[in-house]
Amino acid sequence: MLATTPPIRDGSSAPLLSISHVTLVYDENSQEATCALDDVSLDVCQGKRLCIVGANGSGKSTLASVLCGLIAPDAGNVRLLDYDVCRDGKPDLEAYRLARRGIGLVFQNPEDQIVTRIVADDVAFGPENLGVQPHEIKRRVRQELHRMALDGFAQADPQRLSGGEQQRVAIAGALAMEPEVLVLDEPGALLDARGRQRIMQTMDELRRAGIAVVHVTHFMEEALSADRVIVLEKGRIVLEGTPDEVFSHRKALAAARLEQPFIARLCARLSADGLDLHWTCDQSELTTQLATIAAAHGKPLTKLRARPHVPPTTLKSPISRPLASTWETEAALSAATSPLISIRHVSFSYGSKGAAFALEDISLEIPAGDNLAIIGQNGSGKSTLLRLICALDMPDKGQILVDGLDTNHRGRRRKEREALAQARTRVGYVTQRPERQLFADSVEEDVAFGPTNQGLSRQELGDRVDGALELCGLLDKRFCSPFELSGGQQRMVAIAGVLAMHPQVLVLDEPTAGLDHASRTQLHALLAGLNKSGITIVQATHSMDDAARAKHVMVLDRSHVLAQGVPSKVFRRSTKDRLVACGLNLPQTVLFAEVLEASGAIAPGSLGNPLSLDELAGAIEKGLGLLPGSSERGEDEATWRSK
Amino acid sequence: MAFKIGFGQYIAADSPVHKLDPRTKLICSLAFMIAAFSVKTPSQLIFAAFACGALLMASKVPARAVMRSMQPVLVVLALLGLFNLFFVQTGPALLLVGPMRITTDGLWAAVLYVTRFAVAIVAGTLIMLTTTPTALSDAFDVLLSPLSRVGLPGHEVAMVLSLMLRFIPTLADDATAISEAQRARGASLSSGSLRRRAHATKALLISLLASALRHANNLSRALDARCYAGDAARTHLHPLRFTYRDAAATITLCVYVVVLTMLR
Repeated sequence: MLATTPPIRDGSSAPLLSISHVTLVYDENSQEATCALDDVSLDVCQGKRLCIVGANGSGKSTLASVLCGLIAPDAGNVRLLDYDVCRDGKPDLEAYRLARRGIGLVFQNPEDQIVTRIVADDVAFGPENLGVQPHEIKRRVRQELHRMALDGFAQADPQRLSGGEQQRVAIAGALAMEPEVLVLDEPGALLDARGRQRIMQTMDELRRAGIAVVHVTHFMEEALSADRVIVLEKGRIVLEGTPDEVFSHRKALAAARLEQPFIARLCARLSADGLDLHWTCDQSELTTQLATIAAAHGKPLTKLRARPHVPPTTLKSPISRPLASTWETEAALSAATSPLISIRHVSFSYGSKGAAFALEDISLEIPAGDNLAIIGQNGSGKSTLLRLICALDMPDKGQILVDGLDTNHRGRRRKEREALAQARTRVGYVTQRPERQLFADSVEEDVAFGPTNQGLSRQELGDRVDGALELCGLLDKRFCSPFELSGGQQRMVAIAGVLAMHPQVLVLDEPTAGLDHASRTQLHALLAGLNKSGITIVQATHSMDDAARAKHVMVLDRSHVLAQGVPSKVFRRSTKDRLVACGLNLPQTVLFAEVLEASGAIAPGSLGNPLSLDELAGAIEKGLGLLPGSSERGEDEATWRSK
Repeated sequence: MAFKIGFGQYIAADSPVHKLDPRTKLICSLAFMIAAFSVKTPSQLIFAAFACGALLMASKVPARAVMRSMQPVLVVLALLGLFNLFFVQTGPALLLVGPMRITTDGLWAAVLYVTRFAVAIVAGTLIMLTTTPTALSDAFDVLLSPLSRVGLPGHEVAMVLSLMLRFIPTLADDATAISEAQRARGASLSSGSLRRRAHATKALLISLLASALRHANNLSRALDARCYAGDAARTHLHPLRFTYRDAAATITLCVYVVVLTMLR
């Protein structure tokens, strides 16, 4: 259903939150006035989950703030929990104050929402502000900590909890105020897969408890279980309806820089190949439909055509011209002397001797030109390993060689310092949320920081900056202040700053965390292009689908290497249990193959372990007997650590 | 992340000191500290040190945690001792080291100043280690409330203090992450020309400031969402209440002060 049709009021009960024709402009008087919300109307009803999706900068967070009474719009009416807080853009501050008491908010950064250093005290903070009596506060704290499965953490220091646990503390804190509506603004954006899954379960529990949830997200899969979905683009509602209705509009979604959920993309792909499928984004429905087709097996589909081998979704390399020639030759030269990085029996612990190992006896060889993905849940040692590769810390035991240079010294002597500096020029390091390190007045100046430190000539410096800006699609932003850019662009500036140093190895720590679909796609394309031109890539990631694209995968679990090998060997159905046991999973393509075979639609074992949508679609078509199949697969396993 | 600051972090335990009302703790420790600074004779010093040890035992806080918390001050203590040792020149000479003369008065001054300073610091540290930040800021709140009658924001000062304690480790983590990222880009605060060092320092400071502002922005959103409105009619999970323990603690302190002043 498109936004032009009036929203359907569900049931007879009046909506809890209702905004109509709301418009909000930032920096109204300056020249750069931006319209964050443009004539937005929507209702939030009791016990329902409303999902708001949109690209970075589409106005999602602003809308969330309006809905929980933190910002008054410039025009339009806002009615929150029976209080008319804003009429025709005129806010009633007293009504706002009262309405806010019944609306909770949890947003991205868990650490910024926690105000004390004791979990129980933090959960109590909201009720204390509401003037709730002590014995009642005590009851609520106990109840909400229990609901969030944090019973044992009442006296803990929130700083020592994982991001997922911290976010649950924040949700418990909001729920302890007993809100009628809970607004969650990208609650899982910075969490690992397990943390995000836990938040999704929580939302289901809240819905059962009758609490209305407004959920802002840029993970389309998370929106599938919502009651209603709203798509924002540049401050306007462009699509609105049930997940089924909204996600069927592929073009409108693409225009809003969003992608369809995985099942919908698979369904569209199979239909395009000639399978007789009704569009759906529901997993069980697609399974049923495929089972029906399988039952009518033997009736070949005439429309089915051979597919060109290059999938239409292939990432187009942004590198149109060869990289700066010196860079390319350097990378090519080092390719001759593999491996580029060798990690030999490395152990490392933070703090004093006897402290728990952050890494224990890690060995790994990374050949030049590799694309290695390191996966593992929070605290498994991924970031530590990356920091060691970048020579930012020294291993306690073992040795790390970067292009033959030993990183194992403290850089006290001049010679050592030079070796260390050299090792660092070969390795470019993109930290977690690298946009935090931006500082300069202009994008150009920020990107030039690294090369300037390398002491290059003015001419060379200019070339490097131009090259990096072009690669990252930032040429038109070069004179902007980095602080005025969107989150996705800021990350690209930070990455450009590293690329301008012409590293042979690019080390990235969760590069796609917190990015929307469009920025993720751009980053994937950039990395694929760099890798193709010879740059070695090492990235830590929470996304199994990102890892499935890499050349090699390394699984870390509690400071140890659990497995390493090519993705097709690491991500197999036979390894699922071990991956799940350490907080990971298979890519969704393999998971769906498993579901499909379990349903009986396709003979068990015939789908294999497809790692991309195209592979999965091909395997399904073969499995249904629609394409001639050759199902020879090497069955050798990746090297798994014996328990 | 790379390190966590353990400075002044509350340590949960079931001890008589933990159970005291934070207001009692604040006032008594203030009195204890002032008393420590009035110590002048060896017998007083021994008595004060003994009392301090007893306090430490009663709090059930491991001595190691106290030492860790005091680490930043230890340097100051050492300097204080050395200063007194070398610069107090009265009294008979004990030792001649080149041009320096160490006298008995100097030695006594070093011991006296260092010990009584240490006693005062331990008392202050114990407050932090045995009181939750919330209780501490509640106590400040009450004790500073007379100020609000003359127009000074007592409650807000207490809240700001407690938020500051909460965010120091967060900002420290940010500083580590940012400086590492910039080090990886060849920035160096400790080597290279003065101009390059200045440039690197500027880069670090500006990004740190930006990150602090980001935290502040988010925090204000969180405080608003949780209906924090200054001192307006808040209630407390653990309301402050004086019990017999507080009376006992106050009496013990009074006895201690009287004995201390009577000792010669």
